[in-house]
Amino acid sequence: MAIHKILFASLLICLLIQSSHGATKERLFSDLEKSALEVTATPSRVGEGVVLAAGIDKLSITWKVSSTATKEPEFKAIKVKLCYAPASQVDRPWRKTENELFKDKSCPHKISSWSYDPAVKTAQSFDYTLERDIPTGTYFVRAYAVDAKDHEVAFGQSTNEDKTTNLFSVQAISGRHKSLDIASVCFSVFSVLALLVFFVNEKRKAKIEQSK
Amino acid sequence: MASNEDGSIGSSLHGVTAREQVFSFSVEDGPSSQAIRSDDPTAKFAIPVDSEHRAKVFKPLSFAKPHMRAFHLGWISFFTCFISTFAAAPLVPVIRDNLDLTKTDIGNAGVASVSGAIFSRLAMGAVCDLLGARYGTAFSLMLSAPAVFSMSFVSDAVSYLAVRFMIGFCLATFVSCQYWTSVMFTGKIIGLVNGCAGGWGDMGGGVTQLLMPMVYHVIKLTGATPFTAWRFAFFIPGFLQIIMGILVLTLGQDLPDGNLSTLQKSGQVSKDKFSKVFWFAVKNYRTWILFVLYGFSMGVELTINNVISGYFYDRFHLTLHTAGIIAASFGMANFFARPFGGYASDVAARLFGMRGRLWTLWILQTVGALFCIWLGRASSLPIAILAMMLFSIGTQAACGALFGVAPFVSRRSLGLISGLTGAGGNFGSGVTQLLFFSSSRFSTAEGLSLMGVMAVVCTFPVAFIHFPQWGSMFLRPSQHEERSKEEHYYGGEWTKEEKSLGLHEGSIKFAENSRSERGRKAMLADIPSPETGTPAHV
Repeated sequence: MAIHKILFASLLICLLIQSSHGATKERLFSDLEKSALEVTATPSRVGEGVVLAAGIDKLSITWKVSSTATKEPEFKAIKVKLCYAPASQVDRPWRKTENELFKDKSCPHKISSWSYDPAVKTAQSFDYTLERDIPTGTYFVRAYAVDAKDHEVAFGQSTNEDKTTNLFSVQAISGRHKSLDIASVCFSVFSVLALLVFFVNEKRKAKIEQSK
Repeated sequence: MASNEDGSIGSSLHGVTAREQVFSFSVEDGPSSQAIRSDDPTAKFAIPVDSEHRAKVFKPLSFAKPHMRAFHLGWISFFTCFISTFAAAPLVPVIRDNLDLTKTDIGNAGVASVSGAIFSRLAMGAVCDLLGARYGTAFSLMLSAPAVFSMSFVSDAVSYLAVRFMIGFCLATFVSCQYWTSVMFTGKIIGLVNGCAGGWGDMGGGVTQLLMPMVYHVIKLTGATPFTAWRFAFFIPGFLQIIMGILVLTLGQDLPDGNLSTLQKSGQVSKDKFSKVFWFAVKNYRTWILFVLYGFSMGVELTINNVISGYFYDRFHLTLHTAGIIAASFGMANFFARPFGGYASDVAARLFGMRGRLWTLWILQTVGALFCIWLGRASSLPIAILAMMLFSIGTQAACGALFGVAPFVSRRSLGLISGLTGAGGNFGSGVTQLLFFSSSRFSTAEGLSLMGVMAVVCTFPVAFIHFPQWGSMFLRPSQHEERSKEEHYYGGEWTKEEKSLGLHEGSIKFAENSRSERGRKAMLADIPSPETGTPAHV
């Protein structure tokens, strides 16, 4: 009972901490300035049906502030993220696109973050090696411009508004390891053998007892 | 009858054959029957025992051989199996990314994880009869450990489903655990003992929601990538199963007097015919009502073990860790909620007889289901947690209360009814997961509310459970001269030939002792008038 009370109390404390983040919940994606940034993402291997390998292949990403950007004075940093294309969101509600920025789960993978220097007007580019925890799927790249309060104010993405062009596919690592496989087999065999040994031993002892 | 050597270890095959007088309640009534012979083996037990050497006292803090040790080995084995079966649930957010699973895949794997036990629970009763409770438990633990380890090979939705299905077989330890306590503890306390063993074992479903994210986190700290770390995390439940299996085999004992294989089988050891036991269990409509009821108390609990962590993670944007803590609280409530349900059932029976037990069951299960509906509709985290806790207490207490009724449905087929009811729990879980959590038709929140509604509806059948000798929720006991007797109900499970051989005597003894289910009013009315109670001599 006491353990249960402590658990419940710690839950309440966690909740209070969580709910204090509530102030920023109502910011909407539709309020952001579209196409304020021009973003391109070029995979290291291109072609029909090419699937990039996580942990190995790279993306060459460039971003540039568009000349038509109106909120440019507010930009303090640029956050570049990897986002799911609609094909990878089917039957997967944990990747759903939501208008409320707090709830939106379509861009969970952070690529990098750059502080914005208004003096530099040329396109910035960098290489990004796909991380080993990127799941299998179809992706595009989006860059958010955030202000001093770390709130998103504008964005740009490497695909069109319907998210149908310039998408690339990634194949995740399997996560399997030879050493893990071998250990698994060893322990499994041990388990079955131990049981058999006990069983046979006891049967033998029982037979000896009975024949006495 | 073949001769039994007095006091020799293993000559008393208590509960194994149907021929001996197996008293389900203690034969000793009080101070008058305390004659203990000097060579009586009962003198060597650490706990007071009845004439069958079953413990009369429940001491949870003791590990005394063989009774309390069997209790602890039994519930911890069951606990370990719960950990393994639901180990994937808190890690689903990582697994679904590694294996590219859809919601349908995850839901189907959840159904598979509870389906295997439907069959293994039915088979376990027979295994325990043949090989003893120790081997029943050890088989379950050590033969499913390879399935747990084989998570390291899983690479897609199909293999994931197959492995979860095979791991799920180990939930048969529920039956072996209850069987083991039933042969070790006397009938008067078996309700509490089974409630504790069942409840504390079920806690494993809660502990795993904390344990697995923690193990995963620690493994990641050593430098492993997420997609490797979760596979390695499954080694922990696997190790636990092997260790428990070895402990059960080395420290445990099948029966109060020794192990099954070393007992001398004296004379004709005829067990009750399985076909008869099966027929009487299946023919009794009450078995099936309990099957459905348990499907929506334990079944709902099993489903929640699979979906609740992911629900809190996705809906309320919590970390894996926090979602795990909340999900764990659901399962941990079992520690007191299930024994409480059994206890409430016993108290209700003391006052109102069997009618009290049935009403208790209905109230607890319906209230739990109503809170489940509330949980699905809660949109703020504190309300959701409150609803979940109240829901957990109601549903888990209902599980305990149901096993306050089950022992009275049949005496001859008691073991099989426990097995069938247990299978019903898994069946209900499979159905609810399939209907509400395996497709994108309902969001998880909607699924929870709908599951609550279905549970309320499927709890109504308890009103149809009617005992001629005790009545039901709304009907009085039968007024018929013969049918209103407990002996008639329990004797009805034996044919005339079997009765002439005296095989039914255990049932008759049980019937006499079950008169307590008439409730207080009927018990007071039963006290004989002074004229008949006066002894012949003055």
